[in-house]
Amino acid sequence: MDGKKKWFTLDLGWNRKESDNSACGCGKSTGGCGSHSAPPRNDYSISAEEFDAAVEDTMAGEVQRDGFQQVFDVKMDRRTAFRKLTASLMVGAGAVGTSCSMVAGEETKEKAQIDWEEQFKGNYKLMTQEERQATVDRLVRSYQLRKKENIKMTATDASEDVLFGYAFNISKCQGYMDCVSACVKENNQDRNSEMQYIRIHEMKDGEGFKFNKADDNYYHEVPAEGHFYMGTQCFHCDNPPCVDVCPVEATWREKDGLVVIDYDWCIGCRYCMAACPYDGRRFNWSKPEVPEEEVNKNQHYLGNRMRKKGVMEKCTFCVQRSRSGKDPACVEACPTGARIFGNLLDPDSTIRWVLENKKVFRLKEDLGTEPKFWYFMD
Amino acid sequence: MIKSKILYVAVLLFCLCACKHEKGEYHSLREKIEAEGKKYHGTDISSEAYIGDIETVVITEGDDTFLIPERKGQIKSYACTECHSKPLAGMQHTITGQRAHWDITLGHADENAMNCATCHNGNDMDNLNSLTGNTVDFNTSYRLCSQCHAPQFEDWKGGAHGKNIGGWARPRAAMTCVNCHDPHRPGIPSKWPVRFNTQKVRERE
Repeated sequence: MDGKKKWFTLDLGWNRKESDNSACGCGKSTGGCGSHSAPPRNDYSISAEEFDAAVEDTMAGEVQRDGFQQVFDVKMDRRTAFRKLTASLMVGAGAVGTSCSMVAGEETKEKAQIDWEEQFKGNYKLMTQEERQATVDRLVRSYQLRKKENIKMTATDASEDVLFGYAFNISKCQGYMDCVSACVKENNQDRNSEMQYIRIHEMKDGEGFKFNKADDNYYHEVPAEGHFYMGTQCFHCDNPPCVDVCPVEATWREKDGLVVIDYDWCIGCRYCMAACPYDGRRFNWSKPEVPEEEVNKNQHYLGNRMRKKGVMEKCTFCVQRSRSGKDPACVEACPTGARIFGNLLDPDSTIRWVLENKKVFRLKEDLGTEPKFWYFMD
Repeated sequence: MIKSKILYVAVLLFCLCACKHEKGEYHSLREKIEAEGKKYHGTDISSEAYIGDIETVVITEGDDTFLIPERKGQIKSYACTECHSKPLAGMQHTITGQRAHWDITLGHADENAMNCATCHNGNDMDNLNSLTGNTVDFNTSYRLCSQCHAPQFEDWKGGAHGKNIGGWARPRAAMTCVNCHDPHRPGIPSKWPVRFNTQKVRERE
């Protein structure tokens, strides 16, 4: 297998070569039962033609492979092949149907072409910058064809010398929930299931953090007497357990510390949801829906673009905003200034001042997940 | 003999490599931040565009230099001397009916600690004055607040108190005290949360 493969395979040991020695039904490895084949020819000399062919093979391996090749030009077992073929057949049938049809319009054909290419694209993490731009362009065009609306989608990469971090002032938060509202709007979260990345927990004074006793869905005048408020969301761990458990590597930690998801690669197994000790991940049980006029059109491939049914999503520290120098929507919306965001590598940043001058702590620090989300008090 | 030598070398190699494991070369995130922060060269990301139309002034307090919103232009009837043309004592008895500033009641500390003259100077209405009678510009009104609220002032300078304007990158711009706190009534009243999740109630039934 060449080093440039564009997919991840789950190693269940099926592809491991069976050792020649124990394969015999007689249970012996020494031979003598008659069913052992002759030892392989130990002859490494090759002819000139064979050499040329080998060179060509090597060259071919270096050519970028995308789309169809990535999916089908690999060794796979029968079950996987059937599964892939069935999924592809659905798209393919549609694509062939429309492209060969004399009746279907140009737009329908283009839609089918986009669907075809999207179906067979690789994992975002492994794409080159051109491939990333190509899929972003396809998604923008697809949205235009379907909804007759223009969106702006970027594939901005992590910058050098940036590591995002977040601090939350427990004494300042008053439980107004402006952050939650801003987050839902900014990140195009499903309105039907009222998904929200941020939770604000109302906790009783003097009892410490008791999440089982806290109320994260209160509706009364705040701040309520004898209570304090603290928010949780994805903490963008530096050693994220959710990333380790993903069987298809659809979620990973970016260089600037953001833990992101490729919604098109996610298979919806929810292992990451189970692995997260902070309840930071959300699952789309139904097709996420946002009224067209409320859709935030400033999108990022790894951030707030529209998701589909059956994939995970979570806070991305508003990757579409933070990578261009803006604060995440929750930070901007907070009327109390309880939320502080910045670059951990910049020694003069406000987040670094907080870490160095306030008594900060993180949730479940002993797990070694190294969240980049600190709590502090005045 | 040779075996034990090999063992020593192996142990030595292990010790050398033990800290450079796959996950990175640091033991903790704090260690990593501090070490990599030393190599910080700055980024080309700027937050300048996000400050918007807000007019700002540069302030330097101690080691911190940053932008705060300009204030005088935001006060409805500045300059004050447009009305306050004569000393206060002369004005207080000439007006009948509705008074100017009728809507201002002082709800800041108690009468022993503060009255109007703690911050305002009747003889120089266009400026504020400090506890010792020095002139303080309206644009740097935080200097009045910091006379009593020193810990909050320290936190604000560092970035732990108050609110950022624009974005996390340079240039740093922050709200000043009076952008959130009404100086005459600095306490923030309680209110209702902006949302309630009805779906969550249903799910948890």
